Amino acid sequence: MTVEVLSEEDKLKKYFHPESVAVIGASANPAKIGYRVLGNILFGQIPSGENAEQEIQERIEKQQFAFPGKVYPVNIKGGEILGLKVYKSLLDIPDKVDMAVICVPPKFVKDVITQCGKKGCYAATVITAGFGESGNVNLEKEMIYEAKKWGVRIIGPNCFGVFNTYLPLNATFARDIPLKGPISFISQSGAVGASAIIYGLSESIGFRYFVSIGNKADVTDADLIRIYGDDPRTKAIALYVESFPDGRDFYEAAKEVSWHVPIVALKAGRTSAGQKAASSHTGAIASSDVAVEAAFRQAGIFRAYTFYGLLDAARALGYQNPPLGENVAILTNAGGAGVITADYMNDLGMKLAELTPETIKKISHVCPPTWSHNNPVDVVGDADVERFVSTLEAMVEAPEIDAIIILVVPTGTLEMNKLPERIVEIANKTHKPMTASFVGVIADASEDYLEQHGIPTYSFPERAAYGMYALVERGKYLRKIGVM
Amino acid sequence: MSEENPIVNEILSKAKSGNKTFLGYEDSRNVLKAIGIPFNKTKLATSEEEAVAFSEEIGFPVVFKVVSPDISHKTEIGGVKVGIRTADEARVAYNSIMDSVKRHVPNARVEGIMVEEQISGSELFVGVTTDPQFGPMIAFGIGGIFVELYKDVTFRLIPIGVSDAYEMLQEIRGKKIYEGYRGRPRADPKELVKVLLAVSKFICDHPEVKEMDINPLMVTHKGVMAIDARIIVDRTTTSKLPC
Repeated sequence: MTVEVLSEEDKLKKYFHPESVAVIGASANPAKIGYRVLGNILFGQIPSGENAEQEIQERIEKQQFAFPGKVYPVNIKGGEILGLKVYKSLLDIPDKVDMAVICVPPKFVKDVITQCGKKGCYAATVITAGFGESGNVNLEKEMIYEAKKWGVRIIGPNCFGVFNTYLPLNATFARDIPLKGPISFISQSGAVGASAIIYGLSESIGFRYFVSIGNKADVTDADLIRIYGDDPRTKAIALYVESFPDGRDFYEAAKEVSWHVPIVALKAGRTSAGQKAASSHTGAIASSDVAVEAAFRQAGIFRAYTFYGLLDAARALGYQNPPLGENVAILTNAGGAGVITADYMNDLGMKLAELTPETIKKISHVCPPTWSHNNPVDVVGDADVERFVSTLEAMVEAPEIDAIIILVVPTGTLEMNKLPERIVEIANKTHKPMTASFVGVIADASEDYLEQHGIPTYSFPERAAYGMYALVERGKYLRKIGVM
Repeated sequence: MSEENPIVNEILSKAKSGNKTFLGYEDSRNVLKAIGIPFNKTKLATSEEEAVAFSEEIGFPVVFKVVSPDISHKTEIGGVKVGIRTADEARVAYNSIMDSVKRHVPNARVEGIMVEEQISGSELFVGVTTDPQFGPMIAFGIGGIFVELYKDVTFRLIPIGVSDAYEMLQEIRGKKIYEGYRGRPRADPKELVKVLLAVSKFICDHPEVKEMDINPLMVTHKGVMAIDARIIVDRTTTSKLPC
């Protein structure tokens, strides 16, 4: 068998679009990671619970598999797992292997990498922990040395694996699988990544590619940003980062990509611990976070400061286009929600649009005289769907408004089963971005409808404002670099 | 790509190879002048007559500073006089400095007296530092002796472009200080941008420069000019940036 020659880019793409995957350290024991990974690849999500065994048997009989390619379990013991023949070595597999998911104990990983090299399998995901993160720096170095020798790339070690929700490929041992969607994620923490998936399930936030990047011993955020940036389904890239193996390369990669795909990042560990004694004023003022701040800003990365902020911004950037200007208007049926949001926008340095007399006149035609006559546009508590929607239409037509935040407090007069559909109808006809909050509502059908139709919808009004903030900042960056 | 400046190259290569080296005021000033940073006027006088003549040439008020390789703390030994307003004051100041130096450091080699244009205005600063992860950064902010106290500073990775430089000017909390607050001199933003771009380009051309302070960079009614500067060179790393 001849070994394929691949560019570095093509090697990395194999992680997300492999035609065949081998699980090295595959196990028949449901308690082992090597079992879960194999089952997740095969079925998308391995059945669990009381009837798991029966369900698995049925799915094998009916050939109900998720991953469309070939799956090869590898274990020195041989035998059969989940109905598949187990190979004793990667090298025994008769056909090509595009990706290897490695779950063998740390001391055997290096040899598996050698086998990957010989086999021409260049995309290795090392799930195994017990390397640099627990002090075994040399073990990690030796593994990387071997990988470089053969040209094999490594994601990890110490990670939960890789998702491509559209293939679908679930090469992880995660309990949950993310919904399909436009956000591609990189997480330095497996747990943070897993929580993002769980939160996404409850709030209808979908993901495209998802990588738990572990120790970043070889493949870095920069490598993945470049791959994500090339993917037409990825509309926003979200990162959870604790450290940068090569800050400059990260910066360059982000800059290459962010002009066409928005990037939002949460950098943890903002407070610098080991600031060196500096010999200049400039050095003394510069904490390590100052460089991160500068790099993010110059590379056009939207910086989130909280975990929920990361996801709030990512869904806004993933669903909506940035506004052409900075003037934002609030539409609400609740004065309080409007004021809370206006204050918060002020804190963020956002601009509230000033309504022109023409717009005020138009809205007065469809609202009772008690409406606010101002931004926030408060159509007052007894508003029905018609009044709400007609006002929204007037705001969409107003040239002084670049973007709209919709805040709805469910009332007796506003029919929540009809409103979302009407909002989406209007949103589809305009380039002006919208974010929404059905205040206090957590993931009901009306909220899900908006979310699924591309209007990010949050439980709290400030978070709708924050999503809009990310869009406004995105617009500012694109205009600054001359792209918009 | 970049024009090599012989003055800059000569001074920088004087820096000891392999070690972190501070360039003194004179060398730092000459390097920065060569890359286009404006400084206040100065001239080295070697006699009382020259001191008076140069003072008149530069224009009163002036500052006198003793120049000697053997004296590092000039003020403490009476080697600095400020606020010299007339030819007579210049004579008195010249002799007073020479006497004082002789008394305190009898064996000092005195090269002369530096006659400097005395500048008043608002103090800004421009600096460079190198982050271990992200590489060289440029800093801009409110300068003077309280730089580390106020920390009213903004940073960018080098290289920067024109729009980055303009953004930096807008990000300082105390920006009114150089925007003509209460009759203070107003800085021409173009001049500040030029300084920032010149420093950025300098670091691109000379990656061995690890740190730098231009402090203060004065905003005066006559324009922006640097008064003091220092440069720190480390020849162990010379990898060029993608500038």
